[in-house]
Amino acid sequence: MLAETIHNAGSRVLIGADLVSVDRVASVLAAQPDLAREVFTGRELRYAAARRRGNEHLAARFAAKEAVFKALGTGLSRGMRWRDVEVVNAANGKPRLLLAGRADLIAERAGVWSAQISLSHAAGFALAFAALECSAEGRPDSSR
Amino acid sequence: MVAGGLDPSVNVMTDTTMDYLAIVRAALAEAVGIDEDEVKPTSTIVGDLEAESIDLLDALFRIERLAGVKIQATEITDLLLGELSAEEFEGPDGMVTDAGLDQLQRVLPQIDKHEFRGKLAADDVMSLLTVEDLASMVARRLAAADAG
Repeated sequence: MLAETIHNAGSRVLIGADLVSVDRVASVLAAQPDLAREVFTGRELRYAAARRRGNEHLAARFAAKEAVFKALGTGLSRGMRWRDVEVVNAANGKPRLLLAGRADLIAERAGVWSAQISLSHAAGFALAFAALECSAEGRPDSSR
Repeated sequence: MVAGGLDPSVNVMTDTTMDYLAIVRAALAEAVGIDEDEVKPTSTIVGDLEAESIDLLDALFRIERLAGVKIQATEITDLLLGELSAEEFEGPDGMVTDAGLDQLQRVLPQIDKHEFRGKLAADDVMSLLTVEDLASMVARRLAAADAG
């Protein structure tokens, strides 16, 4: 829905946002169990399964993947896989992005050194906002 | 409806394509929530039909049920790239390479590769995919499955 670049003093931030209907995601996943394993990592599925409103958490993670794809400007046209983008939660509950495969490679080439995600779900919708900080120097070793 | 028994040597653009086309149109109409009449063979899925990713996933599932052939969303990318690697398909400037355009011309016959030379961003490739293209992919996938 939104993918923009913010330039600031030699660095830039790639942003992407996505909004999905929780029921829409839930109904498609319910009808197609294999799809959940194509889209989500085992860790994401276990996280959602352990929560009362698991469908909202899965929908938010679906939106997160879309938001990151948009921020990277890729859609699925560069060989990205859904599971290349994973949302994990820190001990305090804050969501964190882990990139793998093509998503990580494309992010590295873009100089992304920090990937942030914010999730929200209410009134039947789940929203994700991704912000990928880039620098011309690229990604410092083990900085993310 | 058309699952099984397809001779892989048969040109998939023959009348069996009509069945695939009907299946794909019905699946997309249901997934996007529009009338089937609005899903024309030449409609682009992302552009004209305004399908979101979840709609495409839904449509592919419906196609699997109707045609007995499974295509994952990410496989569409693989089908578009053919034998090319992502690096061979897309140049450092984000544009589709000449080799990439040659490949696209094979799987998206409606495009004019000369018109797009140096002008087609890799990010925009999915927006070129039409209903008819998806139907042909389904036909090819089924033919390949039968051949294997």
